[in-house]
Order: sequence, then C-alpha cells, then structure tokens
Amino acid sequence: MTDEQQPEILEIRLKGQLDQRWAAWFEGMEITPTPEGDTCLSGPVADQAALHGLLKKVRDLGIPLLSVSRAATTESQERP
Amino acid sequence: MTRPLLQSKLNIPLPRPALVPRPRLVARLTEGLHRKLTLISAPAGFGKSTLLSAWLRAEARAVAWLSLDAQDSDPTRFLNYLIAALQQVDETLGAGAVGLLQSTPAPPVEAIIARLLNDLATRQRPLILVLDDYHLVESPAIDAGLAFLLAHLPPQRHLVISSRADPSLPLARLRARDQLTELRAADLRFTPDEAAAFLKQETALTITPEQVGALEQRTEGWIAGLQLAALALRGQSDVDNFLDSFTGSHRFVLDYLMEEVLGQQSDSVQSFLQRTAPLDRLCGPLCDAVLAADPGTGQTMLEALDRANLFLVPLDNERRWYRYHHLFAELLRQRSRASNDGDVTALHHRASQWYEDNGMPLEAFQHAAAAHDVARAARLIEGDGLPLYFRGEAAPVRAWLAALTPHDFQANPALRVMYASVLTMTGHLRGDIEAILQAAEAALSDKPDDARTADLFGQIAAIRAMLAVPKNQVDEIISQSERALRDLHPDNAPMRTTTSWTLGYAYQVQGNYAAASQAYAETIAQSQRSGNLMTEIAATTCLGQIQELENQPHQAAQSYRRILDLVGDPPWPAACEASVGLGRLHYQWNDLAAAERFGVQGLALAQQLENVDTPAACGVLLSRVYLAQGDTDRAGAALTEAERFVRDSGFDQWRPEITALRLRLLLHQQNLVAAIRWAEGHDLPLSQARIHLAQGAPAAALAALASVPQQPAAQNGADTRLRHLLLQALAHQAAEAPEAAARTIDEALAMAAPAGLLRPFLDEGDGMAALLRDAAGRGVTPDFVQRLLAAFGDRPPPNGSAPPLLDPLSARERDVLALLTTDLTGPEIAREMMVSLNTVRTHTKNIYSKLGVNSRRAAVRRAAELALV
Repeated sequence: MTDEQQPEILEIRLKGQLDQRWAAWFEGMEITPTPEGDTCLSGPVADQAALHGLLKKVRDLGIPLLSVSRAATTESQERP
Repeated sequence: MTRPLLQSKLNIPLPRPALVPRPRLVARLTEGLHRKLTLISAPAGFGKSTLLSAWLRAEARAVAWLSLDAQDSDPTRFLNYLIAALQQVDETLGAGAVGLLQSTPAPPVEAIIARLLNDLATRQRPLILVLDDYHLVESPAIDAGLAFLLAHLPPQRHLVISSRADPSLPLARLRARDQLTELRAADLRFTPDEAAAFLKQETALTITPEQVGALEQRTEGWIAGLQLAALALRGQSDVDNFLDSFTGSHRFVLDYLMEEVLGQQSDSVQSFLQRTAPLDRLCGPLCDAVLAADPGTGQTMLEALDRANLFLVPLDNERRWYRYHHLFAELLRQRSRASNDGDVTALHHRASQWYEDNGMPLEAFQHAAAAHDVARAARLIEGDGLPLYFRGEAAPVRAWLAALTPHDFQANPALRVMYASVLTMTGHLRGDIEAILQAAEAALSDKPDDARTADLFGQIAAIRAMLAVPKNQVDEIISQSERALRDLHPDNAPMRTTTSWTLGYAYQVQGNYAAASQAYAETIAQSQRSGNLMTEIAATTCLGQIQELENQPHQAAQSYRRILDLVGDPPWPAACEASVGLGRLHYQWNDLAAAERFGVQGLALAQQLENVDTPAACGVLLSRVYLAQGDTDRAGAALTEAERFVRDSGFDQWRPEITALRLRLLLHQQNLVAAIRWAEGHDLPLSQARIHLAQGAPAAALAALASVPQQPAAQNGADTRLRHLLLQALAHQAAEAPEAAARTIDEALAMAAPAGLLRPFLDEGDGMAALLRDAAGRGVTPDFVQRLLAAFGDRPPPNGSAPPLLDPLSARERDVLALLTTDLTGPEIAREMMVSLNTVRTHTKNIYSKLGVNSRRAAVRRAAELALV
C-alpha cells in the first residue's frame, strides 16, 4: 500500500494473448503482449477495492491469472 | 412475500441431452453426502453447474436448488429465496421464518437460519441444499449465516456450494474434521478420454488421438474451451488446418474460438445474440418486447439456439426461461459494448417496461437504472404504496441512489428523501443525512402544497426523529415525530409505525410513562396490521420495561412472554431484552432458579447482537442472583464481566448500578473499608445510606436518603422506590424511632404486596426480618408478610466449597486447557485448533494467570481440582 493517495501502477500478467478490443472491458488498463505469448495489463489501480474488482473481471472471463505485481516506477528499480 | 419470486432460480438446470458421463466425479459427489458440505470451486467454464445438475437429477434424495445472482447479496432477498428453495421440497419448511422476514428492519440472518435449522431438524426426510454461483453473493452477513447453518446442520442434511472463488466459510476447520468434500478445477477438467468422447459426440468428425491431444493440451481440459472448439470444428473441413492455426496462435483461447464460432452464425443469429446479451434472463415474450419483434419470434430463436447448443441454459422444464452461459454472455456483452451504446439503453428501457407490465418491479427497476432513466427508476422504487426498500430490496436501491449525481437529485427532490430514508432504515446512520434532508427541504419549498409534498415533509420529520433517538434528544424526537404523524400520508404504514415508536421512546425517556405506553400500544397495533414483527417486538419490549418501572410486574411479564411466544423456539436475539426482563421479575419474586435461567439465556442472545447494552443488564441480574444464593465469588465474577463489558462498549449509563452492586457485594463480605473507598466520588445516595447504616450512623443514612429527589416520582422505577423505603425503615429502626420505622415499612408493604416483590426485603437481611416480625404483629398485609418471613427462614447457607475462579476461563481457553491435559506439544495444539502457535501461547498465558499457576503441570492439576476439565 502506498502512503500517499496516488494510485499505484500495477502489472497483471494473464495467460494467452488478449485482443486490444478488451481495453474497454479493463477500463483504463493498457493491454500489451509479452514476448512469451502472454498478456500484460498495466495501469493505475486506485486502491485494494479497485484491484479486487479488476481481478474479478479477470476471473469472470476465465482468463488464467499468472501474476500481479507493482510496476517499477523509479529508475533504480528498472532492469538494466 | 410481497414480491413474486423468479421460479426459474429454483429449478435444477436441465442437463444437455448429450452429455459426457463423468462417473468418477459423480461417485465422489455421492460419497461426499455423508459430510456436511460439498464445495465445487473452479473458474468459469469448468462445467460446475452441468455436473451438479446431471448428478442431482439422478440422485434419489430431495434437492432444494437455488441459482444465485448478484442481487442475492441482499440478506433479506437471499433468505427469501433460500426458504422458497427449501419449500420446493417441503412447503411447510420455513413457514415461521417467512413471517420474520416481513419485518423492517430485517431480523439478523442467523435468527432466520436458526428458525430454518429448527424446521429441518424436525423433518425426517434427507435433503440436499444447493447454492449455485455463490461467488455472486458478496455479503459477510450471509457468509456468517451459512457458517452458522453448517455448524448446526442436522445429520442427513447436506449443503452443496458451487462458486468461482472459495467462499468465506471456515473451510480449513471443515477439512480438518472431514466434513468437506471438494471438487476443484484440477478435478473438473476433462481427462484426455473424456475430451475424446466429448469431441466425437459433438462434432461427428473423425478426430485422431493426436488431434484430441492437441486440443486437450491447448485448452488444458477447460470445458468451455473444448466446447467452443467443438462448435468451431463443425464448420471446418480440414481439422488439421484448424488445429494448426489454433495451436500456433497465442491468442487467448476463448477469444479466438469465440470469433470462430460467431463467424459461422447467420447475421440474424449474431444480431440476436448481441442485442439480447445484456439480459440476465431471457424468455420469448421478453425478447420480442426488447427487440420490437413480431410475437413468437423470440421463442423460435431461443429454441433454435438451444438446439444448436449455442450456450443457452434452459431455466425451467417448459423451456420458457433461459439464460446465456455466463462466460458466453460476458463475451457477447463485451462485443455489444463496442457497438452502439444508444441501442443498449433503448433495450434496457423496453426490458424495464416489459418487467413492469408483467409484475416484476425489482427487475423493472434494475433495467430502468441500467437505462439511466432516473425518473422511471424512482417511480418503480416507490411502487404503489410500499416502496421497494420496504420489500426486502434495500441493498440495490441504496446502491443505485448512492451512485446518482447531484444533477439527478436536483431534478427530483423526492430522491433525496428516499436516500435519507433508505440510509436510516438500513442502519447506515451517517453524519451527512441531515445535510441530505436540508437539501430536500430547500428543493421542496416551491413545490405545490399537495398530499404528496406533505408526505415528503412528513418523511423528513420522521427521519429526523429517528436520527435523534441514539442522541437521546427528547424534545427533538417529540416535535419531529408529531410533525411526521401530522404530515405523513395515512397509507404510509411503514413510516407511521416507526414514528409512533420513536414518539413512545421519547416519552419513555422523559418519564411520561402514560403517553409512552399509549404510543407503544399504537405501534404494536400498527405493526400487527402490517405484519412487522421487529417493530412489534421493539415496542412490546419497551412497554414491558415501563410496566416494570410502574410496579406492574404481572403485566410486564405478560408483555415479555408474548415476545418469547412471537419469536418461538429457539428464540432469536431480538428477544434478549424480554428474556432478561423476565429474569428481573423472577428475581423480584424470589424464583432464583428461573431468574438465573432467563439471565443466562438473555446473555447468550444478546451476545449475538452488536451495539446493545443488554449484556450489562444480564450481568447485573446474574450477579444479584448469585449474591442472593450466597455465592459471592460467582456474583463477583459476573459483575466483573459486566464492568468489563461497560468499559469496552461505552454504555456508561450502567456504571451507577454496577458500582452500587459492587458496593453491596463488599458490604456483604464485611469489607467496610473497601466499600467506603469504592463509594467515594459517586453520587449514589442509597449506597451511601447503606454504608452509614453499616457504620452505625442512622442519622447520616436518613440524610443521604432525604437527598434523593422524590419528584417526579416516576423517574425512579418501582424497584428503586421500594428499596429507598426499606432503607429508610431500617434507618428509623436503628435510630430507635419505631413509629417512623413502622409507618415506612407499612408503606413499602402496601406497594410490594400486590406485586409480590419479595426480593427487595430479603436482600436487606436480618434487620428487615425484625421489622417484618413487628409488621406481622400489627397484622399488615398478613399473607405477604408470612411469605416473606417463611422465605427468610429457608435462606440457603453461604457457599462453603473451594472458591471458583474469580475470572472465569473463556470457551476458547477451556478448549486450550483441555488440550493441555493431553500429550500434545504446543505446535500440535496449534494445528489441532487451527490457530497459530502464538495464539496458543497467548491463551496458555491467560489460563496460567487465571488459575494462578506458572506451569503446564500445575495448570492441569488446578484445573482438575476445580473440575474444569
């Protein structure tokens, strides 16, 4: 959880590639294919309730969920 | 039930005619019937409902089925459907519970469940209760209710839950006790053999084992995926080609296959699917209305889709109501969202109209809300007389109102009143309700002065009266209630009932018992007319308390007994005040066993409620009972418990009574020094008088008693007035003023004899016996005095056995203690109890300190001495 009110940027990895037109379904999340052939949903998630709402959408579509993580936001955290 | 139930939610869905038999799963389900719960937990599209319906249609036991939807998160609605499902099996089940559900505010979920359990226990027939799609219910109250149901489920009764997510039930405990059968995704997925059988049956193509393997691998045994693959294969001439493109693609399985399947459908089918996707349920006439199509078109299309296995699930045997398979519906909705939004709005509008015409106001409201037609939704909520939120549908109405914009509210001031009303009625007492009311008033000021506007003003006043109750603002409650009763429409029964209760409450606080009793009698009559049990119980409880204060114990007992009759057996928590009231009365009548029984029952009931002060009343009563029995240790423990409750809960109005009782206990133990210290800083004239009497200073005692304000007399209840007189008599006696003593004791006897109040005399001890012997000599109320003297004669001797614990062990601590007597190590105890080692350590530490020991062995020995294990 963040200290400030700023929403956190999260990355949600899903199995399989999801078409861009699902962007509306996952309001405000960016849909990008990963090199492994999976999908990365990334975007701001206001709070825990919003995160659970998002995960429910994933669940209700039957898309296998691979991981949820915080996106790297500072330079030091970026991969070399 | 004031709203029609959707019968289709109660039917076991029809399994598709051609179904791959799954004997291994059916065997596990049947074997699981000897446990309490079967949980089928897996993501969408794993064939949960299909498996259940195939199994249960072949199962000999009676089945109560309930298909849940998101609206069932409202506990009242959930319970109504739960009862309706059980009544499909036995229509006498839950008859009493249905009555309870009519009340506003609704009784706690567990009270209804307790009623149902009682019914279930008395029926012989084995029963399976199925809750399908439980993930759609998001309500901690319902979760807790089901946990309660599971904990008390009689044998031969079995619960089945299917869900996309594990429910918030004590699964680990059930697992550990072998009371849970689980089927999860890994169990449900098609095996290669099942996949082969399925594909062969669905496609009529020759598919090689390698091809089956490829499909099975790509879909990972996911049944919805295989189903779509089978549908997609129907249109393919070259299976290998299809498989290559499928396997080679990284696209999400469902997304890919869906495009394939839809692409094969005619334009008219595609259009029908897309346009009807927003509907949760479909029937021919509804589809006709929504699509503005010729009558009969919808039914024909639905039957065609059903035959083609296009993800349509029939909801009844007549093939009247259907729904789309959940996943399929999500996908269709996603597609139609991308198309024309205006279409969707118009569709909801027509659906709302159809549901209204067909007498289903909740569904009509929900489609109006989805169409963003605020005026229509508001009209549907109001209904004709009884608003939806008084018909067990408060949750969806509250959610809708909470999401409205200021603009919506400005356009319709009645909405603000409705919002404030729903928030207040459902116990969401928030600080800004008054702001909502003021905005409504401002908006209403330029409305025509008609009955409708008057009723809205009446509702505003009624809500203000309710809001003033927890703050004890008596004048505000009275003026607002009177205004509400003047302005409310004569037919607005729910508001009128509540308002006459608030009025009664205010008069009661004021000490105007005559007016309060009259208001409560009015409330009770109105509640009976509208079948509102909760209000009837609340008003009858208050009436009983007034009768107690007014020295009408027999009438009070009648009121309390009526409440216990109303709630039946086992009683539900709202009867806790009636129970402790009966306990108090039996205490006064010196029936200590009955007093204890009612006190213990009242405490157990009250502990199921939040934010009530009844536990304090029960603790005080029980402490008095134990003291009267001469058991000062138990009396002290009960009082300590009550003190702790008051400290934790903040019900400070109980402090004086608890302090006074603590003081009596100290005096009883001859601990005068501690009693004096205890009384310091408290304005308790009766207690001060007791101390002065104990110190041999009757003049000071009389002075303390004279400081008690005698006017208005009604402010002090009968018990206090009587005890005041008795202490005065004792003080006169000690001051060697026998005439004054006789005059006072005669007054006390005149008051106590008709009511049969023995205990206040007995509690004062030997000095009182002497006064009563004098009274017997004078021939005052001779029968009553004889009873009193007889009771003095057979007072039980003080308890001489080993002192029990001052601070009793909690139930959990007793569990730990029981395990401490075994050979189990700490970590093993933690595992056994399903808690962390740290928790066990905390419990153990508390047990040691309460037992006054510092080792496990000493604890076990001490526990044996005290017969705790």
